[in-house]
Amino acid sequence: MVQQTSAELELAELLVEALNLDGVEPESIAPDALLFGEGLGLDSIDALEIALAISQKYGVQMKAEDEVTKDAFSTLRSLSAFIERSR
Amino acid sequence: MNTAPLISRAANAPLAFLEKHHDCGLDGGIVSAQTFMGHVLAVANALPSCGYVINICTNRYLFTVSFCAVILRSQVNLLPPNKKILMQQFLLERYGDCYVIHDGCEVYSGVTDIDIRKQSFTQLWMKDAWPEIALNQLSAISFTSGSTGESRPNYKTWGCLVAGAAINARYMLAGGGETLYQVATVPPQHMWGLETSVLLPLFYPVCVADTKPLFPYDIQQQLLHGHGPRMLVTTPIHLRALVLSGLTFARVDLILCATSPLDNALAVAAEQLFSTEVREVYGCSEVGSMAFRRTAKESYWQRYDDIIFSQLKENDISFTFVNADHLPEPVCLQDSIVMQTDILFSLQGRVGDNINIAGKRGSLADINNLLLRFPDIIDGVVFMPESSESDAVVRLSALVVLPPAISVDNVLRYLQQQLDDAFVPRPIIKVNRLPREENGKLSRQQLQSIYRQIIAEQ
Repeated sequence: MVQQTSAELELAELLVEALNLDGVEPESIAPDALLFGEGLGLDSIDALEIALAISQKYGVQMKAEDEVTKDAFSTLRSLSAFIERSR
Repeated sequence: MNTAPLISRAANAPLAFLEKHHDCGLDGGIVSAQTFMGHVLAVANALPSCGYVINICTNRYLFTVSFCAVILRSQVNLLPPNKKILMQQFLLERYGDCYVIHDGCEVYSGVTDIDIRKQSFTQLWMKDAWPEIALNQLSAISFTSGSTGESRPNYKTWGCLVAGAAINARYMLAGGGETLYQVATVPPQHMWGLETSVLLPLFYPVCVADTKPLFPYDIQQQLLHGHGPRMLVTTPIHLRALVLSGLTFARVDLILCATSPLDNALAVAAEQLFSTEVREVYGCSEVGSMAFRRTAKESYWQRYDDIIFSQLKENDISFTFVNADHLPEPVCLQDSIVMQTDILFSLQGRVGDNINIAGKRGSLADINNLLLRFPDIIDGVVFMPESSESDAVVRLSALVVLPPAISVDNVLRYLQQQLDDAFVPRPIIKVNRLPREENGKLSRQQLQSIYRQIIAEQ
């Protein structure tokens, strides 16, 4: 499995906590696996929860209308990179 | 024959606001009632002859245009609770004589589809009067979410929709007559979104934004497009995100909130953040909206004058029936209602096994039956865990007994294919056996306690 960076692990821990993914170990979320649909199977309610947790922890506001955000949400890696760029 | 017009706004009245230009020839900005009717006519002329139309347009304006075009052609809008391929297939099998109208989404391969974005929107409405629709014309069938595809249809005649909108206008709009700019975070297919963001603008001074903003930032930006009084139509889930976002918002004159219970503390916080009243609305797909309360200050609901409740007690369970002039027959509510006075009441949970997640209604029994149809399952149960925080979204959970070679991921994939996302249990936990009693029953207490234990061990 592809190794998580420390920033990705921190974000994975945030996701697990924000979404109450009780059965999921943060370390087990592959950085390049899809978060929505087939992957973790998240939906729009989760997207809202994630956006909220990210704004509170990193001070970054997610925007759905913009394509950059859509891409950002696809994997742990892209989401982490998006936060780094936006901070 | 009794009729009512398809819309009743002044020709130049602002009916919708389009955030951006659409390639099909729609410019961004305000759309007048007259321009809107031109668009409706153009789309109506392009529709094939058919009985039913699965209307899954996402953009609120394109949905409203197609919704009205379908009615103008004396066809029936089918309004599914989600856009999944299996849902489309279910509707096609059930109604046969139908096609899909959409604005760019995955469509079931066995059905004719119309992409509304490929239509020409150049037609103008030249007549002096708006078209009249027979009150008894079946105009839409909305579906309760029905967790497993066993969605229950609710038949809406034009007369029912028009009368419902008139009642809602009395309780949802301030009066005054000044046009309200409305931003809605709910889908137009859902009864709550249909009543507020589609029907109100057809008849009353509301100019609705065509978007469905999800994130607080997007809602903040959408609100800025309005220049007069503004209203926000939303749900407790969005409201909670707005309150916790740390953002500041343009002045809003009224917030309408529905689909799941709104916490009092959240209502108070939202009223402070927006310096406005948060009006919580109670309704269901069968009836539409029927009561309201100012949740920050009131605990009892006030029924609309036109809505009549009657109650019947059977085996110690009290059922409430709703009647109104615009309903074809009394509707039995799935909520347990306790009348406090003739017009005030409180809600005391759901009757039977009904569950409500994010405004989507499902039957726990249906979801359990679906789980037990998973080919490799030995035993399993889906249940609603007790919530620890009143404001978080509570998800269903499942305990499953599986052969060693089968993982919970297999179960998850299976459920994801068939269930609305809101009802997919999370987590699904593999256990050695379920705490069944001798008679095979699972007690709720036993389930909750084993669930708490597993979560604590993790």
